[in-house]
Amino acid sequence: MYEITKRGLLGMAAAALLGTVGFGHAGMAADYPTGPITMLVGYGAGGQTDLVARATAKVMAGELGVPINVVNKPGAGGAVAARDIAKAKPDGYTMLFHSNSVINSAPFIMEQVDYKPEDFEYAGMITAYQVGMASQKDQPFNTIAEYVAWAKKNPGSSYGALSPEARLYITEIAKQNGLDVNIVPLKSGSEMINALLGNQVALAFSGGIHYRYPDELKTVSALTTFRHTSAPDVPTIEEEGYPLGMDSRTTLILPKGTPRPILDRLAGALKAAETDADFEKVTSAANIPIKYLGVDESYTEMRDTYAKNKGIMKRAGLISD
Amino acid sequence: MSDLLIGFQDVLNPATLIWVAIGVTLGYVLGALPGLGKATGVAVCIPLTFYLGPVAALGMLIGIAKGSAAGSAVSAILLNTPGEPSSAPTALDGYPLARQGKAQKALKMGLFASVIGDFVSTVILIALAAPLARYALLIGPVEICAILLFSLTFIGGLSGNSLIKGLIAGAMGVFFSTIGLEAETFVSRMTLGLLELEDGIALVPMAIGMLAVAEMAVQAGNVKVLDSEGARITDGASRSDRVVLASEWRRCLPVIARGTLIGSVVGILPGLGASVGSFLSYGATKKASKTPEKYGTGMIEGVAAAESADNAVVPSSLIPLFALGIPGSVIAAILIAAFILHGLTPGPLMFQQQPRLVADVYAAMLCASVILLIVGYTGQRLFAQVIKAPLRLIIPGVLLLCTVGAYMETSSVFSIYVMLFFTVIGFFARKLDFSFVTFLIGFVIGPNLELSFRQSLQLLDHNAVNLAKHPIAVVFILLTVAVVWWIGRGKNPAAGGQVTRSSRATEKHVPTNS
Repeated sequence: MYEITKRGLLGMAAAALLGTVGFGHAGMAADYPTGPITMLVGYGAGGQTDLVARATAKVMAGELGVPINVVNKPGAGGAVAARDIAKAKPDGYTMLFHSNSVINSAPFIMEQVDYKPEDFEYAGMITAYQVGMASQKDQPFNTIAEYVAWAKKNPGSSYGALSPEARLYITEIAKQNGLDVNIVPLKSGSEMINALLGNQVALAFSGGIHYRYPDELKTVSALTTFRHTSAPDVPTIEEEGYPLGMDSRTTLILPKGTPRPILDRLAGALKAAETDADFEKVTSAANIPIKYLGVDESYTEMRDTYAKNKGIMKRAGLISD
Repeated sequence: MSDLLIGFQDVLNPATLIWVAIGVTLGYVLGALPGLGKATGVAVCIPLTFYLGPVAALGMLIGIAKGSAAGSAVSAILLNTPGEPSSAPTALDGYPLARQGKAQKALKMGLFASVIGDFVSTVILIALAAPLARYALLIGPVEICAILLFSLTFIGGLSGNSLIKGLIAGAMGVFFSTIGLEAETFVSRMTLGLLELEDGIALVPMAIGMLAVAEMAVQAGNVKVLDSEGARITDGASRSDRVVLASEWRRCLPVIARGTLIGSVVGILPGLGASVGSFLSYGATKKASKTPEKYGTGMIEGVAAAESADNAVVPSSLIPLFALGIPGSVIAAILIAAFILHGLTPGPLMFQQQPRLVADVYAAMLCASVILLIVGYTGQRLFAQVIKAPLRLIIPGVLLLCTVGAYMETSSVFSIYVMLFFTVIGFFARKLDFSFVTFLIGFVIGPNLELSFRQSLQLLDHNAVNLAKHPIAVVFILLTVAVVWWIGRGKNPAAGGQVTRSSRATEKHVPTNS
């Protein structure tokens, strides 16, 4: 039985204060990390990116020897979480696990977002999104070229789009080929699946979840610069002559000014996920290919995709300057 | 069927049952606490289930969903603060019953209705998942649009004393639901430059503020009156106030049957959700009643209607998930991730590849229904004590829970501001006798109606003649017209005889809506 005295309480308060100071991570990058790390995720709990983030956090926590707390901070496709990160202390104890699209395409699409690649630091990328165009198995077209031929014969067909990028693809293809396609707005990936399986639309933009339905759906085009691991025979949109491939990858995003040794330490821990069996289990269940990039490659990837996406958006008339 | 027997053999062992029971209990408590809901509960628990076997894990998660759908009735009845938006209609009659000293009766009816709705809907899921899901796919955006349009007419029946005020509140609900990124051109509507509003106003903090916090504010204003009343009536002394009488069972069984049917159908259709189910059921019951004017004063049927539909939505919203792999609700979308993690990919193939695991999950779901009855029945005795506690002790606790609940989903203080904003609106809505129920209907249905209307325009190739290919939609549009005409003629039971003047005035406005 403890006896609570005034002095005892003061002592406890003092100890607690000292403890907080001790956890103040005085910026010593050499012994980083000494305390728990917060990992923000810009999407809600239970989604695909959230699952990958939690699996990543588990691997990295094991590597770094400190707990990593995953905090879901959804809003504006991750732009809210990115804004928090931009304002956070650059000490390596707060980071964002998110698609790099929040930096390399959101600024061209959302009025209130104006991030540039230089506004953040990056500690590596781990998985790629298999963004593509999906259709029902029994449709007579297998490539964009065949789709264009089919759509010419079937004016007024429907295409499902759940984002400005999704509209951009079909608008560009329709413009170049004189197609008459109705663009059906969709709110979410599951709604997109619904529209495809219910034969409401003939073609739809997919963030990759259509790979869950291999018996009903097929990929018509990979909207990335690389062919999809889940459908290696399907050509990319670039191979078919439209320079519109836009890549997005899950990236560790940190506040500007985070010291390089901390980024290297985090990237080293992230690399362990590349070969981790549990991590592989989570990503393969969701058809997400692992494509690890280190610190330097991440910076290059961010700059390149930002410039490329900007060019695409400009040519499409989505942005002016 | 024999699969199901094997399933029961697998589930009926303490190691699995205990997790299902933990899930149901956790869900029931989460549901009963205002502010915390099933989506949060399930999402938070998914990582915890990594360490369990697949059947125990999935049984636990589904148990949370089932438990919280039933638990939300408890706070709706005892405190007039629905644990989740879908229990808002439960409070309409449940709370008056509680104030009449019939809290235990209302709680029991709510629980029985929940369990029956839940059980029957689970049986529907098991028996009809595959064939029904095929039909659900025939219901595309065009049909959904017509059905939602029809649902809006229920505002007429739920308006309370004044149809005009009900319509105004409904329109306000639609107004607030339009805030955020527009789905077709991606223009930000009325976001005031706030990034947090790009995705629109989130239902959870809005509903917590409007339903729970505002109610607490109103009650805080009346704390003396309510406390003295509470001291006087506390718990009904006679047995007839505490149990559900045979005569009430007779009146409520058809209501529960209808509620279960409505809930199951709403669950199968994508994107509608539990709130739409319970509102529709409550509205339909009121419309069918011979004494609609008594609703809102403590009709036990109102509780039965809302709760049976509320719970029936949960299992049936898994029908498209199981049969086609399509998540039909928020809870199903969260569960899909958990299912895949535990080695069960929802979809038609699941029945061929993993028949035993599917049977186990089915058995676990049926067990969860029964456990829900036991947990709810025991838990109610404890929860019912709440009504004996003075309000000055309850209000601070509820406010804390509400704040936590609003914060949790987004980890953002902004959600608390949203909650407070709608607290103010909810407070004045109560004081000025505007129906917050029709506000909520407008808010929930508005965005779906807009999206499905835009989708329909594209799918119909901008040509109204193409509507002929959608007979289901045509039927619902005709029904809508008929009901609007009927309400317009002043025969709306909710409006009653004394407001013919106001209903005549609406005649001009309502048709332009449709």
